[in-house]
Amino acid sequence: MSKKEKKEMVGYRQQPGKINFSRPGSGGKSPFSEPRDEEMIPESQGGKKEQPWGSHRHDELITGRVVGKSTSLIDSKWKVTGRAKYGDDIRLPNELIGKIVRSPHHYARVLSIDLSKALELKGVISIATGNDATNKFGVLPVTKDEHAMAVDRVRHIGDLVACVAAEDEATALEAVRLIDVEYEILESIHDMKDGLKNSEEPIHDRGEYHIGEANVQKRVFQEFGNIESMQENAIVSHKTNWFFNGVNHAATEPHAVVADWDPSGRLTLYTPQQVPHYVHRALADVLEIPMHQINVHRTFVGGGFGGKSDPFPHEMCASILARKAGRPVRITFDREEVYWINRGRHPSHIEMNLHADEEGRLCGIETDALIDGGAFASFGHVTTYYNGVLHTAPYEIGAFHYTGARVWTNKPASGAMRGHGAVNSRCAVEVGIDDLSEKLQVDPISFRLANLLPPNSATITGFRVTSIGMRECLERVMKESGWKDKFRKMPLGHGIGIGCGFFISGSGLPIHWDPNKFPHATVHLKIDMDGGVTVHTGAADIGQGSDTVVAQSVAEVLGLPLDMIRIKSRETDTSPVDLGSYSSRVTFMNANAAISAAMKIRQELLVSTSEITEAPIEKLVFGDRRIFRKDDPAVGVSYLEALHKAQEERGALVASGAYRTPPMGRAHKGAAAGLAPAYSFSAYVAEVKVDVETGQTKVEKVWAAHDCGKALNPLAVKGQIIGSCHMGMGQVLSEEMRYGRSGNLMNTDLLDYKIPSIHEMPEVTPIIVESNDPEGPFGAKEAGEGPLLPILPAVCNAVYDAIGVRTEELPITPDRLYKNIEKKCRKLKIDDPLDLPSPRLELSELQEKLEQRAEEHSIRDKERRLKSDIEPYHNGALFGMDPTIPPDEVDESWKVTVIPSEEYLENPRLAGSAWLHTERRKRGE
Amino acid sequence: MSVIRLPMLPSSEKIPWNASINGKSISKPIESNAILLDVLRDQVGTLGVKRGCDMGTCGCCSVLVDGTPKLSCLVLAQEVSDCEITTVEGLADGHHLHPIQEMFGEYGGSQCGFCTPGFLVVISALLEENPSPNDSEIKNAIEGNLCRCTGYQQIVDSVRAASKLLNSGSITNNSTQPKSNPNPGFDE
Repeated sequence: MSKKEKKEMVGYRQQPGKINFSRPGSGGKSPFSEPRDEEMIPESQGGKKEQPWGSHRHDELITGRVVGKSTSLIDSKWKVTGRAKYGDDIRLPNELIGKIVRSPHHYARVLSIDLSKALELKGVISIATGNDATNKFGVLPVTKDEHAMAVDRVRHIGDLVACVAAEDEATALEAVRLIDVEYEILESIHDMKDGLKNSEEPIHDRGEYHIGEANVQKRVFQEFGNIESMQENAIVSHKTNWFFNGVNHAATEPHAVVADWDPSGRLTLYTPQQVPHYVHRALADVLEIPMHQINVHRTFVGGGFGGKSDPFPHEMCASILARKAGRPVRITFDREEVYWINRGRHPSHIEMNLHADEEGRLCGIETDALIDGGAFASFGHVTTYYNGVLHTAPYEIGAFHYTGARVWTNKPASGAMRGHGAVNSRCAVEVGIDDLSEKLQVDPISFRLANLLPPNSATITGFRVTSIGMRECLERVMKESGWKDKFRKMPLGHGIGIGCGFFISGSGLPIHWDPNKFPHATVHLKIDMDGGVTVHTGAADIGQGSDTVVAQSVAEVLGLPLDMIRIKSRETDTSPVDLGSYSSRVTFMNANAAISAAMKIRQELLVSTSEITEAPIEKLVFGDRRIFRKDDPAVGVSYLEALHKAQEERGALVASGAYRTPPMGRAHKGAAAGLAPAYSFSAYVAEVKVDVETGQTKVEKVWAAHDCGKALNPLAVKGQIIGSCHMGMGQVLSEEMRYGRSGNLMNTDLLDYKIPSIHEMPEVTPIIVESNDPEGPFGAKEAGEGPLLPILPAVCNAVYDAIGVRTEELPITPDRLYKNIEKKCRKLKIDDPLDLPSPRLELSELQEKLEQRAEEHSIRDKERRLKSDIEPYHNGALFGMDPTIPPDEVDESWKVTVIPSEEYLENPRLAGSAWLHTERRKRGE
Repeated sequence: MSVIRLPMLPSSEKIPWNASINGKSISKPIESNAILLDVLRDQVGTLGVKRGCDMGTCGCCSVLVDGTPKLSCLVLAQEVSDCEITTVEGLADGHHLHPIQEMFGEYGGSQCGFCTPGFLVVISALLEENPSPNDSEIKNAIEGNLCRCTGYQQIVDSVRAASKLLNSGSITNNSTQPKSNPNPGFDE
C-alpha cells in the first residue's frame, strides 16, 4: 500500500468496497467546530486570559470551552419539569408504607414492646424492633453509638423504638398506635452544663474510654505558643461569653427512603443521601451482609447542608422491614421527624478571649467551647476540634489556647451543618476583633489587613495554607460597600459591619482511614463509538452542581460541548467510591480526579492525532471537537477521527483518575482535624437597619466577597454565596431550635422555625475572588460552606455600629435585642432609646502604623504568590520569630500541649472542666 | 407527639372525583377526606408536586386550580372536583418549556430543585396575570414559597428574565425553543 493510500485510510474510515454506514454525529448543537476562544485561554499558554495570580499546572488543559463560564446545572431541565425523582418519588410496584414508633420520653429504658395488637391488624405486613438489628453504627468509626431502633433504651423524644410496614399509610399509622411499649423513665439531661457532671445513668457507655461517669462525649485541649506571654503582652483584651442556639438545616425535602431486595437477594436502597458511601458501609454492618450485596442509589437530594450526611436509622428500618416483608418499603418523614433526626448545628456556650498588643497584633486567642451534642455522637468528634482549630487563620496569632467539650444530652443529635463547627466560634472571633479594634481606636478592616497570613504559609496549628485571597476579599468589600464613608458615621439605627471567614476545602484525612491508601475520589470515563463521554463518579450532587462541575471539567479537557458528557453518579454499583458531599470536598477532589482521568484520554487522542497528521504531540492543542497544530490550525483532525483512530484494535476508551490529599500537618494529637489541601477565605460587609424602639433588625445589603480559587461555574458560585447568606441570616436573626421548660422541642415546623422568606433577604452583591490555588482543579477551591461564616459576625457588628449595643446570644431576635437596648439605656441613664448615642470612631496613632504594615504585607503577599520557590513562612514571623523554621524548634517557651496542666485544672473554664474527669481505663477500675 | 394518634383507618366510603389535570380528564374514586396533595401524588402520579411540610408553610406543593395558585396540602380533593388543575408537569408543552422553566435553569433559580415546582407554578400564574411584574410584585407573589438553597435572588433574576422573554414579542408563552438537546446527558 502506498503512503498516500495509507493516509486516506486513517481516522474514521471505511473498508474498501464495503457499503457506507452513517457516521456518528459530532455532538453539540453546531455541526461546525467553533474557533478557540482566546479570551479564555490563559496567558501562560499564549492566550488573552490574564493571570495576576500566576500560572497553574492545569493551564495547558484549558480549551476555553466551559470552565469559567456561567453554566446552568446539567440536571436543571429535570428539576423544572418535575421529572427529578427525590426520595419519596421512588414508587416501586407492590410497595409497602413504613412508619416508625418513636419514643414519647426524653430518656427511658424500654421494658417491653407488645406487638400483638398491631400484628392482628389487617394490612400489616412486617414489624421490626431493636432486636432485629443489634449492631451499632455511626458516621465516624470511632464513635459508633446508634442502633436502627432502641436496644435497651431511648435517648430523646422521637428516638426510634420500632417500625411497621403496611399496605397503606393509614394502616401503618394505626399499627404504630397499636404497639404498646412499656418504659421505665430515667432522669434526663437537658442543660449541656449538666452533661459535664457525673451521672447515675450516662446516656452512652464508652466502656474503658468513658470519661469519668459523665456525659462528656469528646474533650479537646490544645495550646500553641507561649501561653503566658499573651496576657503579658496585651494592651487590650476582649472577653465575651456567647450562647448560640441550635439550628437545623431545614432542607425543603424531608428525609425519605425506599428499600428493595431483588429476587437475587441484593438490596437496593434509594435514598437522598449526601454520603452514599458511609450508608453503604453502615448497611453492611447493621444488616450483616457484605457491601457487594448492597446497591445504594442516590436519588435527587432536596437539600442537604449536612442534614443528610449521616447513615440514618430509618434507612436501616426500611431495609429490615423490606427484608422481612419480601416487598419494597417506603418511609417518608413528616416535618416533625426531620427535627427529631436533626444533626443541625450544636447549641454552644463559647467563651472568647482575644488579646492585642501595642503593635496592633493579635497576640493571643483563648477559646472555650462547650457544645451540646444531643443524644448521639454523629460527626461530633470532629465538631469539637473544628470549634477551635478553624479560627487559627487567616490571622497571624501570637499564642492559641483552646478547650472544647461535647456532651450528650437527651435531645435530638446535633451533627454537621454547613460551615461545620466553624460558624459559631468564627462569629465570636470576628465580633471580638471588632471590639478589639474599637478599644485600639483603629478601623477593623485595617486591623485585619495588617494581621493576615501570607500565601504559602503555615498556621499556628501547623495547617498548610496555599492560596489566600483574604486581602483581596477585604479590599473589594471595603471599596464596593463605601465602607470609609459609612463605618461609625451613620445615624442611629443604621449600621455597617465586617466579618471574615476561613474554611476547609475538603478534609485532609478521610473518615475511614485504614487502609490509608484509598483515594478520596475516583472517576471513571468511558468513550465509545458515538463519541459521548460517560463519566462514572460517586460524588453526590445535592443541588450544589457537582455533576455539572465534573462534566465541565471533562468537557474542558477534551474540548467537547457539555451535552456530549453523560454523568452516571447515582448508584454504588456503577460509581467508583467517592467519600461524599461534606467538608466542601467535592469540587476540589472530584474535579481533580476527573481531570486526571480526562488527561489520560487526552493523551491517547494526542497520540492518535499525531499519528494521523504526523505533527509532534507537543505542537498539538485541543479546540472545539478538534485537535490541531497550534502553529497551523489548518492541520488537524476532528475529535471523532482522533477517537476512532485511538479505538482501533481495542474499542471503547476507558480511563480512571483518582485524587488523594498530599501528606500534611504536624504530629500532635488531633493534628489531622482541620487539615485540608486548600482553604477558602471570605469577607462580607453587611448594612443593617435597626429599629431601636422594637429591637427589630433588617439586613438591607450585603457585599459578599469569597475566594474560591477559581470559579469553574460562576453562576453556581454566586448561588452558593447568596444561599449561604440566606442560611446565615436565618441563624443570626431568626432561626433557633427552641426547647421548652420540660425539655421538649417546641418548634418542629416551618411556621415556628423561622427561615428567612424573600422579604427578609437583603440585596446580596456576590464578589468572586480567584486566588488560583496551585492544587485545586484549574485553581478552584470550595464555595459551598465558607461563604456562610462571615454573614453572622458582619450582621452582629453592623447592629453594634447602628445602635452601640452588642448581643451575646444568637439569634438576635427583637426581644433579645430590646432587652440589651434597655440595659444600655439604664446604664447611660437614658429614658428614650432614640436618644442612644451612635458609636463613633476617633482614630489613634496606631491606625497609621497598621495601614503602613498592611501595605508592606500586600507587597510581600503579591511576591509570595507568584514565586515558584518560596521560603517557608510559619505563623509567628509577625512577632519577630524566624519564619522559615517551625517556632517550637527555635524557642523553648513555644510549646504544643494537648493535655491540660494541673495548674490549669485548678481553675478550668467551662468546657475545660471536662478534663477534671479521668477516663475509666486510667482509674484502674 | 406523633405516637399518640387517633385511629385513622381508611374509610371504606369512596366518592367519585373528576378533574382535569394538566389538560387530561381524570376520573377516580377518592376517600371523602382525601387531601389534594395526596391524590395528586399517590393516585394521579403527578410526583412533581412536592410535599415539604403538610401545613401550608413551605409552598412546595403549590398547584394551579383554575389558574389560581393553591397549596394542595391544605385543599380537600373534593373541594376542587370538576376544576382544572395544573401542576409543574403541565407547564411545558412537550419539550417546549415555559419561559420561566427555561430561565430557572439559565439564571440559577433552581439548586436542589425541591422547591422549584412550587415556585414555577406560582410564577407562571403571576406572569399570566402580569407579564411585566416589578420587583415588589415578584416578591409578593413568591412570599409563600420557601427556598433553602438560592436565597431567592437568582429566582427573582429568573422571573425578570422570563418576563423579558415573554415581552420581547418574538417568543410567546409555551413556545420557547429548547436551546440545545433538551435532554443533555444526565443520569435520571
